[in-house]
Amino acid sequence: MPGSDPETSSQSSSPSSSESSSPAHEPVTDLSDLPPAWSGRRALTWPGVPLLVAMALWVYSVRHTDVSRLDDYGLVTALHPAFWGGLVVLTAGFWCTVRDPRRPGAWAAAYVLGLLVMERATQAVLYPTPLYAWAWKHEAVIDHLLTAGGLQTADQVGDMAVYDQWPGFFAAQAALVRLLGVESAAMFMAWWPLVSSLMLLLPLLLIYRTFTEDRRLIWTAVWLFYVANWVGQDYFSPQSVAYALHVGVLAVVLRRFGRSAVRRGRPRQAVWTVVITVMITAIVISHQLTPGMLVVCLLALGLSRRYRDWVPVVTTVVIFLAWCLTAALPFLSAAMPDMIRSVGDVGANVETGYGATPTGTGAIATSWAARLLSGSVLLLAAVGVLRQRVLRHRARPLLLVAAAPLPMFAASSYGSEMIFRVLLFMLPGAAFFAAAAILPKVRTLAADAAAQQAGGRQAAPAKGRWWRPGAWVPSAALLLGTLAFVPSYSGKDRINYFPPQEVALVRQLFDQAPGGSLVVAANRNYPHAYASYWSIDHYWFLDDARSHVDRIVRDPAATLASDMAGVERPARAYFLLTQGQLANSEMNGQLTGAQLDRIRTSVDASPRFRLVAENSAGWLYELKQAGGAER
Amino acid sequence: MTPQELVVRMLPPFGGWLALAALALPGGSPLRGAAVVLFLAAGPGAAMVRVCAPALGARPAEEPVERRDPDFARHSDLLERLMLVLFLSIGAVMLVATVLIATHTFSAQRVLLTLTLLTTLAAFCPPLRASPPPRTTPRTPKGSAQ
Repeated sequence: MPGSDPETSSQSSSPSSSESSSPAHEPVTDLSDLPPAWSGRRALTWPGVPLLVAMALWVYSVRHTDVSRLDDYGLVTALHPAFWGGLVVLTAGFWCTVRDPRRPGAWAAAYVLGLLVMERATQAVLYPTPLYAWAWKHEAVIDHLLTAGGLQTADQVGDMAVYDQWPGFFAAQAALVRLLGVESAAMFMAWWPLVSSLMLLLPLLLIYRTFTEDRRLIWTAVWLFYVANWVGQDYFSPQSVAYALHVGVLAVVLRRFGRSAVRRGRPRQAVWTVVITVMITAIVISHQLTPGMLVVCLLALGLSRRYRDWVPVVTTVVIFLAWCLTAALPFLSAAMPDMIRSVGDVGANVETGYGATPTGTGAIATSWAARLLSGSVLLLAAVGVLRQRVLRHRARPLLLVAAAPLPMFAASSYGSEMIFRVLLFMLPGAAFFAAAAILPKVRTLAADAAAQQAGGRQAAPAKGRWWRPGAWVPSAALLLGTLAFVPSYSGKDRINYFPPQEVALVRQLFDQAPGGSLVVAANRNYPHAYASYWSIDHYWFLDDARSHVDRIVRDPAATLASDMAGVERPARAYFLLTQGQLANSEMNGQLTGAQLDRIRTSVDASPRFRLVAENSAGWLYELKQAGGAER
Repeated sequence: MTPQELVVRMLPPFGGWLALAALALPGGSPLRGAAVVLFLAAGPGAAMVRVCAPALGARPAEEPVERRDPDFARHSDLLERLMLVLFLSIGAVMLVATVLIATHTFSAQRVLLTLTLLTTLAAFCPPLRASPPPRTTPRTPKGSAQ
């Protein structure tokens, strides 16, 4: 800390202000100020009881949950009530455990791991196939790299060449698929949310441990981070790994690039620059947005005197520019005009785009749950910043890191996703201050000593005040936030889940489609949507102009046949309609189920189409071709 | 070198060679998966961290203002080493795979072999010494009496 900082002179928090008890004269502001209910060895081991109960309820619930008929509330209504009971027990157990200084810190870690299992492994256990069309798309990119054996350009793979220009994640996964000897990444990608969330645990702990020794604050912040991270970027994607590395770089910079030790005559070792260079390079070769976010975070850190070391930001900028001006140049030169146009257009950048308007009671309710969850955490963070004067001063660098991604709203819409990405990158800092809002005030050492002295003269014990509403608000906030995660994260599973029948139907299509074929579908929300994208063309008509979509709705079979007529033998033209497409279109305010059903009926009745396959999850038609080209 | 140091030094390359040997097992076998995943997630990073350890620990990290738990800094350093082992391994896998795929020489076995060779090489490297702190007192001129 700079020499002028009051912290360096005499101020420090109370011992586990922290961890033990509040001064006797202070009224109880939170349950954590109360003395522990149990004492002795029992107090050390009892946290295992609620944890075991919660895990038992979780196991029972996943064995009794049926996901074959999801409604518009996704997993929320499908889950067995025992799941909710388990989550309540887990949260209550965590909240009681983390505030007792005599219990080993390992219990808090065990509860967080329990939370991760309930949050991020439930879907992997319940669903027989991986979720998210985007994850299936990334599986196709890996398949492409394994097939091609090298990187390809837009001339060869069209728009999908962008993945060949940031191939780090896909190349590593391609190696993993082959080394494991499995057929494809689909064999393990359902578990990726759990893996990527676990990867975040160590850097988060390190970041929080840079600013406080208070175990309650550290673990509550970690808990809030995980429950607020509903954005869904933990799936099988470059973003998930790049984000973990981003948080890792921040942890190293916060711990090792400060100036305290420099002032004590201990220069920073160059090896730390080498360490972050490896991590930054891995980020840069994997993901477009994360290096930009890292640069703004590091620049913001530079505003604090404690971290005015420009080596990390210069290293990031140099590596990022080097990659952009070489490997990624083809994509950037093509996309640059649009990117420049979107700079400063905050309104458009914040919009979530057409086809992303929640429609139907379930979609709207879960969407509001997500908004309320994010809004509440950010509001709590603001309360924490305002309320915790000492912490605001001590953890100012973290406050800067939390605020740094906000200007990115002005930079780009990032495919209508910028608002979610900004939220994601704000979370490490926001969760810390949100946790501070629901924990007792951190005091300076001087204030604490004064309070202790004053407390000796007053005999107003804190006991008996626990029923005050203010004492329960933090517990309620933590519990509601934890429960709200489920609808926010799993409320759209009707869109994201593809039953095995749907996977089999699409697989059948790609098994028989000759090279050069065309697959027409309503949208790209189905498994294997990008399978063989280097040899098979796709047309998703809901991506087209509204006037053309209206024409398809008015006269489906004729319009679609006309759209598909350009395909020449031996290639084929297929029309595919699946459950995932229907759910996506309905719940995002595009065509209704009735409209899509009318399209299918029209195609089914048309003599120009032939039914190739159908099952409970969809239909596959082929356009009849007369000898050679029809057009 | 104590036996314990020898084990720490040789464990990462041993993991690499074990993973290579595990490729002889049938695809999808749990043993093969465990050997490969363990090495890719920790081997290269562990080798790098071992080589750099003295330099990495030469200067204390930034710490909270309150310093009550004498073990807090040590535990933080341990967590940091674990994180580096994981993230440097992931970074190394991504970099090696990308280089091979960009040069059209990609094969999964080559990725694993390259990482194992690099890890083995690192195991034979001496630990990186920390650079000395800058002198704060003026040098004594040669020949002057002290």
